[in-house]
Amino acid sequence: MKKIVIALVGQPNVGKSHLANALSGSNLKIGNFAGVTVEKAIASFSKDDTEIEIIDLPGLYSLEDFSADEKVTKDFLLKGEYDLILNVIDSTNLERNLNLSVELMELDKKMIIALNMDDEAHKEGIEIDATYMRKILSIPCIKVSSKTKYNIDALQESILHVNAHEPVAAKLFYSDIIETELEKITSFLDEKHFKAPNMSNRHIAIGLLWQRKPMYAMMHEQPLFIELQPILNNALGHVYMYAGSEDIEEVINKENAAFVSGLTTDVMSVKAQKSKNLTQAIDKLLIHKLLGIPIFVFLMWGLFQLTFTLGQAPMDWIEGAFQWLGEIVGATIENEAIKSLIVDGIIVGVGSVLMFLPNIMILFLGISLLETTGYMSRVAFLLDGFFHKFGLHGKSFIPLVTGFGCSVPAYMAARTLKNKKDRLLTMFIIGFMSCGARLPVFVLFAGAFFDEDMAGNVLFIIYISGALLGLIAGKILSVTAFKGEDEPFVMEMPKYRFPSPRLIWFSVYSKSIMYLKKAGTFILMASMLIWFISSYPKNSFIEESYAPQIEAALDEEKGALENEMREKMMENTYLGIIGKTIEPIFTPLGFDWKMSVATISGLAAKEVIVSTLGVLYSLGDEVSEDDASLKEIISKSISFPSAIAFIIFVMIYLPCIAATAVFAKEAENYKYTIYLVVFTFATAWIFAFIAYQTLSLFY
Amino acid sequence: MNLSHIEKNTKVRIKEIKSPAILKKRLQSLGISAGKEVEVSEISLQKNTLKISLGFSFIALRMNEAQTIEVEELS
Repeated sequence: MKKIVIALVGQPNVGKSHLANALSGSNLKIGNFAGVTVEKAIASFSKDDTEIEIIDLPGLYSLEDFSADEKVTKDFLLKGEYDLILNVIDSTNLERNLNLSVELMELDKKMIIALNMDDEAHKEGIEIDATYMRKILSIPCIKVSSKTKYNIDALQESILHVNAHEPVAAKLFYSDIIETELEKITSFLDEKHFKAPNMSNRHIAIGLLWQRKPMYAMMHEQPLFIELQPILNNALGHVYMYAGSEDIEEVINKENAAFVSGLTTDVMSVKAQKSKNLTQAIDKLLIHKLLGIPIFVFLMWGLFQLTFTLGQAPMDWIEGAFQWLGEIVGATIENEAIKSLIVDGIIVGVGSVLMFLPNIMILFLGISLLETTGYMSRVAFLLDGFFHKFGLHGKSFIPLVTGFGCSVPAYMAARTLKNKKDRLLTMFIIGFMSCGARLPVFVLFAGAFFDEDMAGNVLFIIYISGALLGLIAGKILSVTAFKGEDEPFVMEMPKYRFPSPRLIWFSVYSKSIMYLKKAGTFILMASMLIWFISSYPKNSFIEESYAPQIEAALDEEKGALENEMREKMMENTYLGIIGKTIEPIFTPLGFDWKMSVATISGLAAKEVIVSTLGVLYSLGDEVSEDDASLKEIISKSISFPSAIAFIIFVMIYLPCIAATAVFAKEAENYKYTIYLVVFTFATAWIFAFIAYQTLSLFY
Repeated sequence: MNLSHIEKNTKVRIKEIKSPAILKKRLQSLGISAGKEVEVSEISLQKNTLKISLGFSFIALRMNEAQTIEVEELS
């Protein structure tokens, strides 16, 4: 079977992913670009005995290197292996989108233009003459709608057709004076019977006149270059004189803009405009001078309330199911050690992480809604002034919100920031946005120490205060470590759109699967390890020394003695010894050795904190096992000030090892990684210390 | 007169963009270039950022950037 690789390119918010989804019949996958850790979505389908793979590249406005994420797309287009470019255009925003198309045409690859959102353009009274457009550009231009599936077949056929035929050079027309100079160079090359493989002489002429380095490198090796040079000099002289500028980039921009503007007038007609008014009307409210920020805060509050309330019932079911499973499985196993491993280690450890899946799904749903409806850029607009005071950038908002989900993609999302300084600063602050993996810890502790109707608010306060601390940290860092010039704030505010439920589901689903995979592999291993080092060595002499005492004790004292014995035994396991060693560091924060161990194990992954607590407290718990959930055990064995200090510590300290590795890679300097480790640990310790000491005065 | 001085709901035409080259290019790829008509449709509370609408899209700008865009009012 033949294979065609398609580079899907377009400006942001043109519905690229949606189109890839429609083309492939929702066969989307997430992968990574070789060498760089940027997510790439791949869609594939087969038609007429050919396998077609679509690579959904990050959106970009133009091929200049404005920000790091745009560079990924540009690098792929220049160096990657693909057969043709599918340029997706938002039909309701033709002129601006064509600016990119014109730059893509210069790459001299096989290319198809998909005029997406045709249905929307219709509604807005925009008519595009695709046949005429094809005639002018000499590349296929097809009106499609990923929403109504209009013309998707035609687009698929066009892909096969274009791939099977010789490339046809796209045609761009420039102003007369440029055309005259191009003609001179072209006819010189023709006269000399010069012929380069897969490249027209006009294309070479444009490359030379636009002073493109690769073209010069290629032509320089030709003997005819000596004769060509004076012609080129002459041509450039004329162009500069005509344009009134000696900056060739500016001339190119002007020429391209003029071509695009002319093309748009030729192929597009507008009857009436409607939906712009709808967006304007929504914006009147959402970015209102006074109401905008309160509305945003309210929406975030709502999200955390939902995370807690909606998530509560399924969470209880999952926890119940695992308890039941533990009992059933436990009853069938004879061997005490294996029973303990499976019930106390694996089932409790994995179960305590899995039970937070509903909460995680709601949180990811909220974040992906924020990303896809167009609201995100409004918030960036609202917050830029405020953020700017703290040394951050309005666009920092996007990686920061992503950070509520997971720090790993958030570090990558920071690539939308152009300046290194803004990027680094934002990356330092991302850790303060508590990630989804910390959510279980907060849900557990908020549920254990606060009333049910308050827990949602507590959750909201935890997240908000984390974010505020982050801002303060940003201010401190921006006047000390990261001084420098500001990055300009220029950002498109896309139209409000109803997101495709399919894509939203895909995003939530793929993240949930990742969470489940992690629980089934990494967390499983970690739980087994924690179980092992917290059960061995067995130290039966402790049991023996207590046995006569328990025997002799009165009935009411028996329970207390048994607990004392269990505690002693735990303290003498490997984990207990480790915990006891590090306990002094955490004693000023009110942590016992179990909490200290959980903090350290949380470095592997934040979910491990709850599974560690689960294993530790269920092994040595004072209450009988069948009537206590982890929540109850925790509320009984940890004091309120310690719990708050623990929440604060978890809120601030280093994200997991995986995230730190990504940070190191993105920051491109190990020095910053060391800063990050020291900075987060020190801040976490100090704040937890203050909280514990202050609260201890009252409780 | 530059864009930062324009009141809300006023339409203007861009005369010249005096931004540094890289910003100028970015503005152009967002559709902001000399000769284009734009409307200031929202200004944030402390006059930090403004939202302009042009043709079929909306762009958010910081005041610093707006200051580099020379405009003239449409009569």
